[in-house]
Amino acid sequence: MIPVPRGRGGWETRTNGTLRLAALILVCAAFAASGCSSSVKKTPGLGTGAGAGAGLGESNLGNKGSLAQFKKGELGAGEGGPLHDIHFAFNQYTIEPQDDSVLKANAQWLEAHPNTNVQIEGHCDERGSEEYNIALGAKRAQSAKDYLVTLGIAPSRISTISYGKELPLCTEHTEECWARNRRDHFVVSQ
Amino acid sequence: MGLAKLCAIRGRLAPDLVAAASNGKVMMRRSSLLLLLAAFVTVTAAPFTARAQIKMQIIGPGSHLSPIAVSALKNLGGDDQHGVSSEFDSILSHDLELSGYFRLISPKAFIEDAQTSGYDLGQFNFADWRSINADFLVKGAVKVQGDQVQLTALLFDVAQQRRMMGKSFTGQVSEVPRMARRFADALLKATTGIEGPFDSKLAFVSTRGGRFKEIYLQSIDGHGLFRLTDNPTINLFPAFDRQGEVLYLSYKTMMPALYLANPATRREVRIVSRRGKMVGGAISPDGQLIVAAIEHSGATNLYLLDRSGQELRRLTNTNGINVNPAFSSDGRMLAFTSDRSGTPQVYVMSIAGGGARRVTYKGNYNTTPAFSPDGKFIAYESRDGGHFDVWIVGVDGSDPINLTHGVGSNQYPAWSPDGRYIAFSSTRNGNSHIYLLQVATQTVISALTEGNGDDSCPAWSWWLGD
Repeated sequence: MIPVPRGRGGWETRTNGTLRLAALILVCAAFAASGCSSSVKKTPGLGTGAGAGAGLGESNLGNKGSLAQFKKGELGAGEGGPLHDIHFAFNQYTIEPQDDSVLKANAQWLEAHPNTNVQIEGHCDERGSEEYNIALGAKRAQSAKDYLVTLGIAPSRISTISYGKELPLCTEHTEECWARNRRDHFVVSQ
Repeated sequence: MGLAKLCAIRGRLAPDLVAAASNGKVMMRRSSLLLLLAAFVTVTAAPFTARAQIKMQIIGPGSHLSPIAVSALKNLGGDDQHGVSSEFDSILSHDLELSGYFRLISPKAFIEDAQTSGYDLGQFNFADWRSINADFLVKGAVKVQGDQVQLTALLFDVAQQRRMMGKSFTGQVSEVPRMARRFADALLKATTGIEGPFDSKLAFVSTRGGRFKEIYLQSIDGHGLFRLTDNPTINLFPAFDRQGEVLYLSYKTMMPALYLANPATRREVRIVSRRGKMVGGAISPDGQLIVAAIEHSGATNLYLLDRSGQELRRLTNTNGINVNPAFSSDGRMLAFTSDRSGTPQVYVMSIAGGGARRVTYKGNYNTTPAFSPDGKFIAYESRDGGHFDVWIVGVDGSDPINLTHGVGSNQYPAWSPDGRYIAFSSTRNGNSHIYLLQVATQTVISALTEGNGDDSCPAWSWWLGD
């Protein structure tokens, strides 16, 4: 590893060995013009750069995902995209009967637009521990993915991510608000 | 946070708990586990028998707060404005108050002038301190030359007119707060038999900088706030090894990954896995092993990695959820949360392999386990009737006890290195902040964080060492 001089407040981030080569290629591709020669990345204030993360088999969702919207302060402002959310009971990840038609409509849209991919985001309400909720959100996203696959959508078009309880649509401590936050959100990319 | 405010918070927090704590009989009836804890304190104090016999009557879990006077340090040169003395006394006093064992006597009541009297045995009059009802007295002296400080502090038993303990420190002016914390820890050892926990760090997640959850470090007494992350995404689950490195989860690249950060060198390693997405992680006390919760196809399982992120072994294999890994202090055992029974419950297993053993049976939502440093207990959060509370249970599953009693949402327990305290997050006063709990008396002593934003996911470091 070649030490990189650090500016004031700068941190040096290196990706672990199992993916060092992949990260090296990615980082080099991203910073080819600046003559990158190692996997060491200098980042302002502990890594705001997205270079190393964008290429880990995930589609580029641009500014449409919930985290990107949250960064802009626009989470939940306006209904995003052609696909609709589904909702879950507390601490559950099984598809509710009333969401059957929503998932079928989402599948029909994806079938009609074969050049698109979808990322399914799993979300939870504010109750419970953060880490358990990230795992629960992953279960919720996977439930929808599995269902879309049974409806004929190619698994290669579907990725999943969980944000646990970190990106709520509303912040009141009421059952109505919690029910809104326990959701799968579908983000379409080209 | 000033002492007056500290007292106010204490009064507001849980007067019923304070009352319960001052009545040993009530506390003893509540649980045999507390008897165990009390016994632990007594046994550990045994090497100090000569003085412990007296002191355990005066100060011990369940008894009254012991009055202590912290006198100004005598200026032996260079501290003419008493800046070093004030800083030392202020942090020492704050830590002693946080310990839950002492009541600080107001300096306004002091009779003696620290600058005109001596500071060691035979150089001052114990009657000046007995008359204001001090059980214990801290005196000392300081010499400042440029940036260099020489500081001596002594602890006296006023009734016995005896010197109990003394410490000398040399260092830079900027190190005076640590001198105060190390003296507070030594003072607790001299009076209770167990080293205090204040020469350590608290890490926590906070939204104080805006909408985003970032990770901060500070001393237990609230000084030296250090912002570890600065990325407008999501940062969670700070955890310390004994070297002070911090493992945490971040979405800073828009995808979740673990990061092992060294605040001293400002270098970190980003840890991802071909297995799937990182959900959380724990680092062993020696910093050599990581247990990562990794999600693939909806199932989250635990994997043992080395500190560079290389996978060594799979630890769980279910189609459900296995999260919240937490090492025991000897690095041999792992506690975690699993939904394999149908509801989230706490389990323990050996790092070396073998089966997992269920620890919690009471309640249907038990998560976020943490081993006590002696390995005998597990603290966790439990949902009961809509409330989240911090509980402890014997590592064999015996005697679960609710430590927070349904005031607000109480979550994410983190043990102090001495095992006498738990830091946890609570919404008891509105916004979520980190609070300090004395385990043996079930007393919530004080908030450790304050201000705007929500604070969560506390981690308590090991002792910082030399």
